[in-house]
Amino acid sequence: MSRKLTAILYAALVLVGAMGLKTLVAKHTDGSVVVSIGGAPVPPPQD
Amino acid sequence: MRLGPGHGEKGFVLGPYEYTIWFICTLLEVAVVVCAFRKNAIRRYAFLNAFMGASVLISVARYNVLHHYGFASKEYHYFYYYSDFLLTIVLYLALTSLYSHVFSELKAGQYVRLGTVVLLCGTALFSYAVVQQSSSKLVMTHFVIELSQNLYFVGLVLTYVLRAAVLKIRETRTRLIQLILSTGVYFSMSAANFAMQNLSHSRSTLFEYLPPLFGCFLPLSWAYAFWRIPEEARTVPSQLAVVPR
Repeated sequence: MSRKLTAILYAALVLVGAMGLKTLVAKHTDGSVVVSIGGAPVPPPQD
Repeated sequence: MRLGPGHGEKGFVLGPYEYTIWFICTLLEVAVVVCAFRKNAIRRYAFLNAFMGASVLISVARYNVLHHYGFASKEYHYFYYYSDFLLTIVLYLALTSLYSHVFSELKAGQYVRLGTVVLLCGTALFSYAVVQQSSSKLVMTHFVIELSQNLYFVGLVLTYVLRAAVLKIRETRTRLIQLILSTGVYFSMSAANFAMQNLSHSRSTLFEYLPPLFGCFLPLSWAYAFWRIPEEARTVPSQLAVVPR
């Protein structure tokens, strides 16, 4: 049981760290896409 | 009018640079699957190869949608973001499969799976909360984009945690280490590019030309890992120097 709780705790820590990092990096963003996978061109914003 | 990839003087147009990079990236993704097949690594790294296979199929489908409806069309817009969401989910699963490889000797498979599900559900809930707060009604496309971006940052942190675990438990499988490191470099380059773009407070075309190149890096490094590094190869972990007093 304690190992399961440890796994959940680590998952929560990663989530908190990732969202904190995103907030830090995207502080001044205008909502544009951070990253996209693959080489396809990102479509222009829709009105 | 802003110039850069996909932004010509006559509006939104794609030039030779975008098509060339896209084509090279797709070729490299095919190369990953071919290299893994030739080196009998398809089943061992099933999720990684599934991600590359899915990326190839989605690239072809995106080209078809682009060709039929145009770059600035709603059809391409929606298809792009929904397919990107699918790719992000598969990349997330591929990353967690690397965790399973690293912790295979500790018999921690069920805990990795539990952590994977909890983290995915947590990220989805967080994304839902963000979308609900920013608009009065839930827009599905907005949620999909938000979840993709959040999963990307989760992947970034997961890769660094995995790298720390590799160092801690003195993992020696060279190919596995190469796959983890290249994934970490890919995530880091994209995040650094985005951060620089925000810090400079300008939409420099340089920062817009770079992301497609980063997209080529991941399949290139994975293809190298499958083709050049045998599964049996081992890296000797660095030893701490013991200084006698």
